[in-house]
Amino acid sequence: MFKIQKINIILVACILSFFASPVFATQIYLQADSATIKPGDFLKVSVFINTETEIINAIQGTVVFPDNLLKVEKINEGNSILSFWAEKPNVYEGKEIRFAGIVPGGYQNNEGLLFSVIFQTLSQGNGAAALKDVQVLLNDGKGTAAEFSVSNLNFVVTDKASAISKPEIKDNEPPELFTPEIASTPEMFEGRYFLVFATQDKGSGIDHYEIREGKGPFIFAESPYLLQNQNLDKEIAVKAVDKNGNERIIVLPPQKPLLWYQNYWILGIMMIIGFIIVGIILRKNLWQRFTKLR
Amino acid sequence: MNKNYLLFLFFIEIILVAGFHFFYQRVLADTNSAITITVKIAVCGDGVKEGWEDCDKSDFGEASCSSLGFSSGTLTCTAACEYDTFQCVAGPSCGDGSCNGSENCANCSPDCGTCPPAGGGGGGGGGIIMPPAPQTAVIFSGWAYPLSKVSVLKDGQLAITTIAGPDANFNISLAGLSAGNYNFSVYGEDSQVRRSTLFTFPVYITSGVTTNISGIFITPTIAVDKSEVKQGDNIAIFGQSVPNGKITISINSDEEFFEKTTADKNGAYLYNLDTTPLDMGQHLTRSKAILNGEDSSFGRTIGFSVGIKTVIKADEKSLRGDLNNDNRVNLVDFSIAAYWYTRPISADFAVKETENLNGDGKIDLVDFSIMAYYWTG
Repeated sequence: MFKIQKINIILVACILSFFASPVFATQIYLQADSATIKPGDFLKVSVFINTETEIINAIQGTVVFPDNLLKVEKINEGNSILSFWAEKPNVYEGKEIRFAGIVPGGYQNNEGLLFSVIFQTLSQGNGAAALKDVQVLLNDGKGTAAEFSVSNLNFVVTDKASAISKPEIKDNEPPELFTPEIASTPEMFEGRYFLVFATQDKGSGIDHYEIREGKGPFIFAESPYLLQNQNLDKEIAVKAVDKNGNERIIVLPPQKPLLWYQNYWILGIMMIIGFIIVGIILRKNLWQRFTKLR
Repeated sequence: MNKNYLLFLFFIEIILVAGFHFFYQRVLADTNSAITITVKIAVCGDGVKEGWEDCDKSDFGEASCSSLGFSSGTLTCTAACEYDTFQCVAGPSCGDGSCNGSENCANCSPDCGTCPPAGGGGGGGGGIIMPPAPQTAVIFSGWAYPLSKVSVLKDGQLAITTIAGPDANFNISLAGLSAGNYNFSVYGEDSQVRRSTLFTFPVYITSGVTTNISGIFITPTIAVDKSEVKQGDNIAIFGQSVPNGKITISINSDEEFFEKTTADKNGAYLYNLDTTPLDMGQHLTRSKAILNGEDSSFGRTIGFSVGIKTVIKADEKSLRGDLNNDNRVNLVDFSIAAYWYTRPISADFAVKETENLNGDGKIDLVDFSIMAYYWTG
């Protein structure tokens, strides 16, 4: 009897184990301020990662959403755990947001924010925002894939929901300090010098960069940026602008400054001073001779 | 001779010299490329700085990183006999977020905060001494290797470096931060310029608060003297850690086993492993340190094989992930890889991808992950 009960218990446990969900260490999930929203209101959806005991260093994926119910108003990657983006979160065909980034040295923590999206709701209906094509890699030097699970977000757009005002991000701080670097490699830009730069903004996220070489105007630029002045004899200013308009400007001095005798301004000034002094001496001598003759 | 006449001759000479250089440069500018290229082809690479060369191999004249406006570092010379300042380190500068060098609250408030106003006053007025404005800063402290360079990365970019003491202790502060989430990494370089793994941790920084992060125990460095060892011979496993630290060496074959040794007063450790009990094939080894009851994590893993012959380990040609061969893995390498992301790579770059990344003929997330592991900032 006891033996039959023991076998039954084992059988039940085996059967149940087929239905049990596997437990993954890492979870990627979508989180929203509210699951019920009025048409025309704003819904903030954030993408988080919880790595539990694993250390990961690279993530990519796509957030898909119903474009008949939601329209992307703004994407905010400020305060992201990802330091560098191979693909910055961006909207494609109005219905999906692709992203890919890394965190050098690895990341192990709960509630790691990847980025946030502010949607505006368009019409009533039930919908879901979901993650697809997700890849998470371990910080092991080999790019080993981590096991993970994803958790999507269901929402309802209805007139009966409470009004939600547009989330505003208070951000008066400029982007973080950074150090642009000049580099060259035969495999890029035919070996010509280019500039690389990246920084983070802990508030609203980076909006764009601008570059000025010498005394010219600032122009929009992306990293890597092919330098127009390959002589590297002028200063380079890089401006990082966040989504609230705060700016940080970093100036690199000329890498190959002109020597004094190569500077036309200095030579010109020397010549002018020389001419003036010669002129004074000549004038004095001529006057003396003139007065003697008289 | 008349004094005025001498003065006249002197200034004519200045005009002629200035004018000579002015017009000579303009003439050179028209044919500069031809002359310069000719000179460089003929002379550059002979190890002698001459003519229009900035440098030639190790001949820099009197130039150095310092003379070019940097605080320290190593000036190198390109194959085109031009200065290469990539390994020069910029000195402290006000506004870089770090209160160091000769900076203080009086000459650099953005980095060091504002000085308290002078207290007291004349007569019976008295004065109010205001406390200094709270700084948003982080202080890192822990153990690396004696007199080693310790680097701190902020969100993957080099923020500040320091030199550990003879006892391997280090203490370094970073000020001028904004409130928010940061990912800090700390690593050390030993006396043979071997780097430790990154000690990385996420921190939320609160505005106006100085956050102390202590107990950072940098993992030991590790190397082996042979890439392949004849079974039964010894292989030397060595590196650097804290002085007199207890070193645990893990050797991972089919099963993991551990050996122990002790670092000397300079933190150097050496263990000669008898490979007799090891199976033929590939093995991995790594080490960790214990000091005064504190453990480091296991550091970098390196491999060796046990076979029928001994092969002395050659110097590594390049660091994994280092695509521009500057002995660092940082934003420049990331940008180079990102340039080729989702596009067909060129034949030249395919060679680098094979040598430095995963060699699958394309740049994807796996390559970025490898780069992120070997990151140095």
